[in-house]
Amino acid sequence: MFLVDLFSWWYFRGWGVFFEDFKKRLVDTVDFFSMKDMILTLFKPYRQIAAGASETILGGALDRLISRMVGFFARVVILIAGCFVLILEVFCGIALVIVWPIVPLLPVAGIILSVMGVVF
Amino acid sequence: MEKMSFNYNSLRARNARLGKFFGKPIMLIILALMVIVLIASGISLLVMRLAVGWICVGFTAIPLMLIFWTKKELVLVPVNPAAGLNGLLSNDVLAAMPRNPNAKDIAALITKTTSGKFMYVRYGLSPQLLEEIASVLPAEVGPIFQTAMKIQEGTNSEEIHGAILAAAIIVSYPGHEDLLKRMKLDLADVLDGIVWFNYLNGLVKNINVRRHNGGIGRDLSFGYIPTLSRFGQNISIVGRGAMRTHLHLADHREIMAQMTNIFSNQGRQNVALVGPDGSGRATIVNAFSEYLMDADAKLPENLRYRQVFKLDAAAILSAAAERGQTERLVMAIMNEAYVAKNIILWLQNAELFFEDGTGSVDLSNVLLPVLEAGKLRIILTLDQQKFLEIATRKPALANALNRIMVKPANEKETMKVLQDQVPLLEFNHKVSYTIWALKEAYRLSERYVHDLEMPGRALSLLDSAGDYANQYKMVTAESVQQAIEKTAGVKVQQATSSDDRSKLLNMEELIHNRMVDQSEAVKTVADALRRSAAGVRNEKRPIGTFLFMGPTGVGKTELAKAVSEVYFDGEKNIVRVDLNEFVSAEDVSRLIADGAEDSMSLTAQVMKQPFSVVLLDEIEKAHPHVLTTLLQMLDEGILRDVKGREVSFRDTIVIATTNAASIDEFKPEFLNRFDEICKFKPLSPADCLAVLDLIIAGVNKTLAPQKISVELDQKAKELLVERGYDAKMGARPMKRIVQKSVENIVAKSMLAGQIGNGEVISISREMIEKELG
Repeated sequence: MFLVDLFSWWYFRGWGVFFEDFKKRLVDTVDFFSMKDMILTLFKPYRQIAAGASETILGGALDRLISRMVGFFARVVILIAGCFVLILEVFCGIALVIVWPIVPLLPVAGIILSVMGVVF
Repeated sequence: MEKMSFNYNSLRARNARLGKFFGKPIMLIILALMVIVLIASGISLLVMRLAVGWICVGFTAIPLMLIFWTKKELVLVPVNPAAGLNGLLSNDVLAAMPRNPNAKDIAALITKTTSGKFMYVRYGLSPQLLEEIASVLPAEVGPIFQTAMKIQEGTNSEEIHGAILAAAIIVSYPGHEDLLKRMKLDLADVLDGIVWFNYLNGLVKNINVRRHNGGIGRDLSFGYIPTLSRFGQNISIVGRGAMRTHLHLADHREIMAQMTNIFSNQGRQNVALVGPDGSGRATIVNAFSEYLMDADAKLPENLRYRQVFKLDAAAILSAAAERGQTERLVMAIMNEAYVAKNIILWLQNAELFFEDGTGSVDLSNVLLPVLEAGKLRIILTLDQQKFLEIATRKPALANALNRIMVKPANEKETMKVLQDQVPLLEFNHKVSYTIWALKEAYRLSERYVHDLEMPGRALSLLDSAGDYANQYKMVTAESVQQAIEKTAGVKVQQATSSDDRSKLLNMEELIHNRMVDQSEAVKTVADALRRSAAGVRNEKRPIGTFLFMGPTGVGKTELAKAVSEVYFDGEKNIVRVDLNEFVSAEDVSRLIADGAEDSMSLTAQVMKQPFSVVLLDEIEKAHPHVLTTLLQMLDEGILRDVKGREVSFRDTIVIATTNAASIDEFKPEFLNRFDEICKFKPLSPADCLAVLDLIIAGVNKTLAPQKISVELDQKAKELLVERGYDAKMGARPMKRIVQKSVENIVAKSMLAGQIGNGEVISISREMIEKELG
């Protein structure tokens, strides 16, 4: 009964739990790298460093341009880092999705390989 | 009706039992070690070209799957309401439930569950009590389960846990109401305990849930704030700690919604939270700051991730040596906050920024334009009195503010707040609080804590009580009583000792030890006080209110002192107000003056000494407005001081005295407020003889340290009464005549060295005649 319960969980509810965890991890990563905000504010000035600093129109415009460029680069760096981690997580998730149904079969596979005498 | 039974072999029950076994930390460690050992040995064997290594590698899957299964399913078997009872029983109940449980089995397993322990510690529902009740219940458990399901539904509980089963067992007992009454509880308390547990359990479950607060790039679009960081505290960052601030009051939630509305719309971007200290103004601001930082909250985008900075008036003042510097500094801070675009300034105790004084500075000239412009978001918190003062001095300032009133909490709301704060207090004090401690904190703080409003006042008392836990580290009602006794200097323990009871039973005798006759008045007072001590009294009024009528010198004040000595263990526990000093309407303000301005006002004295006799002497001389002011005190046991604080007179005995010949001098509505009107009869010469004995006893008491005593023969006493008796003046002249004769004789004898230590001075009629001439 114990093994039946374990295996039935693994192939039924376990999938759901696995996908739920996977989704939560992705949402956490998106939040950690502020990805939504980074996209929405991609061209906004960096740290408001241009706000009211310069006295001339041209100077102000230049300040703002520089500030927006710095902001753009800072945000792009964060976005790239976030995307990299997300991709890594997705790959890990796909790998686990593939491995998940195989795991309960590993003991049987081990016995078969052992009986077959497979060695490196 | 459907018969309810527990299915021992249901999937949930099986999983819960397995979870109990595999969920232990040691088991999880063993499983993890098995994974490591199997994989390591498998690889080693394969490296050694032994095919048996595959078996080890393959079997690694079993402990690995067990770890997953345990952590993701077994330790928290999900509820399944569709499956009825078996789908609703909590994990720990399922794990401990035997195959065919009877009532006693259920009682026994309750205290093995977290919620059962909770009810034991906080509500005294001990294993012994539950097992005793269960032993008289029918063995059939179906009705208990049915009751449990009703309670689960009634309390909106997600599952049927130990606390619900405990309540079900109690409810199944026919005499449960009396049983709970003996424990100073009722069923509503027990059900409230279940709701309390559910709430705390929810907090514990969510404590490890990651909060989304914007991430690492959140503040990139917002400016730097070096000056503000120096002179302010970012409460949004502090608020990201372990525990969230919860608003338990519907009013507070509404206020937060109003704040969101004001700050997200166009218009004056400020909110002035006006309310008394302790009403929860700071809690609202804290909750608001956490709300703004919650990425998952549904709030306007122009408020998301805005951070609340509490400005420190003292830090600003200390950094600016000159007046102009303060203004410049504040302007710099405001400018920074405006440019940063994500700052909401919070001026806590905002009056510090609008008035000159110690630790405060009047910056209204700087702040008013900012508030009127409405560009910078500002929250101000201040009490109503201060707001009114500022509004009177600077109406433009008051008009520029969006005022929101914060009202004090009622009892139910305060209890919710206390229940919410208990885990934090327990963590700080390393103790456990019982429900009786919470109730007592509310009751006593309502009466004796005057500087704060609810829920703050109950919370502050509950916090202090944490230092008075008993030897089992439990904070009980007695701990709260001790805390209020030590912190407020009031005595709140009830008369329970045999000494106290005997004192009350023999009150007349004890009073007569120090005063003569007036038996009727003494009996009336003693009866009223006995009724009060036995709990047969209205708790919303003073212990007793008496009007003593009679000519001067007949013992009215003496009886008041005697009552104080007998009832409150000391003549010092008397608050005396001579109403002949309150003869004009303006004197009312002196009567109820703030203790800081006049420590001898009636309200200030009672605030300090709530367990006392309040002696209102010569009320016939008081101005009618003064008497009208006293009506509420006599009727409801409450008097408001000039600051509007309620001062409780509910633990006082109010005694008013008058020399008026008739009660017609007073208005009926005033007379009706007294429990008893005691008429004192004039003293007879025989009474004066007894009074003389008391006076001589007093003289001997004074002489006791010098080991000298005085005794008078009968004729000497008669002479003194003859010379001292005055039907109009009562016993007062007796004191004077004893002073002139007896005390003078003693003084002269002592100075002449005629008597030494341990000697007795016998005074005869002749000696007195000679002395008095």
